[in-house]
Amino acid sequence: MDENDLNSDHVNSDTTVDDDDADCYYDFFIKGDDPMDPEDAKSHQGSGQKYTILNQADMRKRQEDVIAEVSTVLSVSGATATILLRHFNWSVGNVHEAWFADEDDVRKRVGLLDYDKQLSDVNAGDRASCGICFDVYPRDRIFSVGCGHPFCRECWGGYIRSAINNGPGCLTLRCPDPSCSAAADRDVIDMLALSDDDKKKYSQYLLRSYVEENKKIKWCPGPDCEYAVEFDGGGGGEDSWDVSCLCYYSFCWNCLEDSHRPVDCQTVSSWLSKNTDESETKIWILARTKPCPRCQKSIEKNGGCMHMTCNPPCRYEFCWICLGDWYNHGTCNRYNEAADVEADKNREDAEKYVTKYTHYYDRWAANHSSRQKAIADMQRVQSMQIRRLIETQGKAGYELLFITDAWEQIIGCRQVLKWTYAYGYYLPENEHTKRRLFEFLQGEAEKGLERLHECAELELNQFLVDYGRPSEGFREFEVKLKGLTMVTRKYFEKLVRALENGLSEVQVSGSEEIGQNIPMTSAEG
Amino acid sequence: MQASRARLFKEYKEVQREKIADPDIQLVCDDSNIFKWTALIKGPSETPYEGGIFQLAFAVPEQYPLQPPQVRFLTKIFHPNVHFKTGEICLDILKNAWSPAWTLQSVCRAIIALMAHPEPDSPLNCDSGNLLRSGDIRGYQSMARMYTRLAAMPKKG
Ligand SMILES: [Zn+2]
Ligand SMILES: [Zn+2]
Ligand SMILES: [Zn+2]
Ligand SMILES: [Zn+2]
Ligand SMILES: [Zn+2]
Ligand SMILES: [Zn+2]
Repeated sequence: MDENDLNSDHVNSDTTVDDDDADCYYDFFIKGDDPMDPEDAKSHQGSGQKYTILNQADMRKRQEDVIAEVSTVLSVSGATATILLRHFNWSVGNVHEAWFADEDDVRKRVGLLDYDKQLSDVNAGDRASCGICFDVYPRDRIFSVGCGHPFCRECWGGYIRSAINNGPGCLTLRCPDPSCSAAADRDVIDMLALSDDDKKKYSQYLLRSYVEENKKIKWCPGPDCEYAVEFDGGGGGEDSWDVSCLCYYSFCWNCLEDSHRPVDCQTVSSWLSKNTDESETKIWILARTKPCPRCQKSIEKNGGCMHMTCNPPCRYEFCWICLGDWYNHGTCNRYNEAADVEADKNREDAEKYVTKYTHYYDRWAANHSSRQKAIADMQRVQSMQIRRLIETQGKAGYELLFITDAWEQIIGCRQVLKWTYAYGYYLPENEHTKRRLFEFLQGEAEKGLERLHECAELELNQFLVDYGRPSEGFREFEVKLKGLTMVTRKYFEKLVRALENGLSEVQVSGSEEIGQNIPMTSAEG
Repeated sequence: MQASRARLFKEYKEVQREKIADPDIQLVCDDSNIFKWTALIKGPSETPYEGGIFQLAFAVPEQYPLQPPQVRFLTKIFHPNVHFKTGEICLDILKNAWSPAWTLQSVCRAIIALMAHPEPDSPLNCDSGNLLRSGDIRGYQSMARMYTRLAAMPKKG
């Protein structure tokens, strides 16, 4: 029995795979300590307790909570607390610290006047002239934010609207007098804004500020998603930053890229910038170009002929092979070893480098698009196939959850597999044992995932046909798909952990040894 | 529209009263269009602009005074914060630091202050900005004085 035998048939033919079998099957590849009960794995992986998905109402609630807290502790109005929190990035701790260290300084910085000494004396008299429209109004039509600079209510309304239309800067609105820094807080907005629409926009900016300036909350970067994610755990190191939003988008909370276990954020950033980096194409060109012997600009060989003509304005004509002047050189069979070896070495290196990069990039990209397709497929499965199966197989919806489980698993695994290609690219060339082992594990992961993907995608189809009664093989199909899902999940979990540990905890010394183990597992099956 | 018109009319009346009060600024409203103004300002003393009379053009938007007026020099001037060809002025109060409590008169005052205190770090005229930044004050002053003589003083003879 050889390796292929196992990988193509072992699990497929064994439709009664259960937890124990799966464990020993994969333990031969990766021995990681696995304190996790397999039943908990999904909740740990999916909706762990380290982060919370927030909808608009949750965010508002949290925002109001911190405002209320600061307001109570400092005995200031909610609007004042809001100004303070916004200034200190919504950190209650920082507000308290700064306030109790030097209240006057904080007041000055955010434009809060001492409201006890309000305008009473500033604008004595029962009429005042508005500083914007210059009209004279009775006192009750005039308003000032405590500094005494009088503006009529209409002008305030226009001033507020124009600030709100100019963007989030309206959150730090000040008295219109250019020399005055008194803050116009949200009570002022509520009282003087011209329309509910203006108030709504203002409160939306306020909410956005809460999310965007808060160190613990970030918007989900998923397309059109309106959820935000609060991260409670420390993250980094042993912990994963992975977050899975209610919109089904999963991403790294730390760097906001797609989830990228087993590689770290730094690797992701180098890999992604490499993918867009022009220098990669420059190297590609290097392998197919030579510098013009006169002007040194590189020129690309585009035809079979060795007669090269440099681009204008140089227009130098030379021989591609020996780089000699075309009209003075007759033949070029004289071998200039030194020059040639040097030039060829550079090109060879470049070519090798490009080939390596292309190898990993192609597979990274292939898994990326395969995952995109799986996401689309899963939506189709949920919207159509499940309903169809309920009819043809006479099952209840909850009895068919194993199918969506399988698809979720496929989508997650594609993501992991995709990033193992970036992992492989950066794995040092000279760590031969690790590289061999890595490639073996990656290969196994790939085969396992293909099996699952195929089963979910193709084998399901036969049960969609309505024969008027449940199909005989459906129970077997269910057992098999459940088994494959579970086996693949566990394998990938271990793979991720092994790669994250730099393959250091893998209990085998090389792929030969693993290879020897395979017939043994196979024999069990 | 109505509000901006009313406000400009008030400024117009104020200008008539202040004419004597501030001899450095002469603000004139276009006869047929209250949204178009010009101003003549005196170059501040002890600057290379001393002795020159500079003309400014104001285009006032309908949202005035919630939006700032557009102002540019009609007279050629060599100054780091004024575009040499178009006369465009780089001044924060004409952009994001605008306040509706400013008036055309106070904008003129701010421009006179800018003439006396150039900001070479946000130049619209790079030649002039570079002279100042490299510490060549005399070079800047002689250029500025030359253009003041050429463009901002009455021609002799
Ligand atoms: Zn008013
Ligand atoms: Zn004020
Ligand atoms: Zn989302
Ligand atoms: Zn990351
Ligand atoms: Zn050339
Ligand atoms: Zn040749």
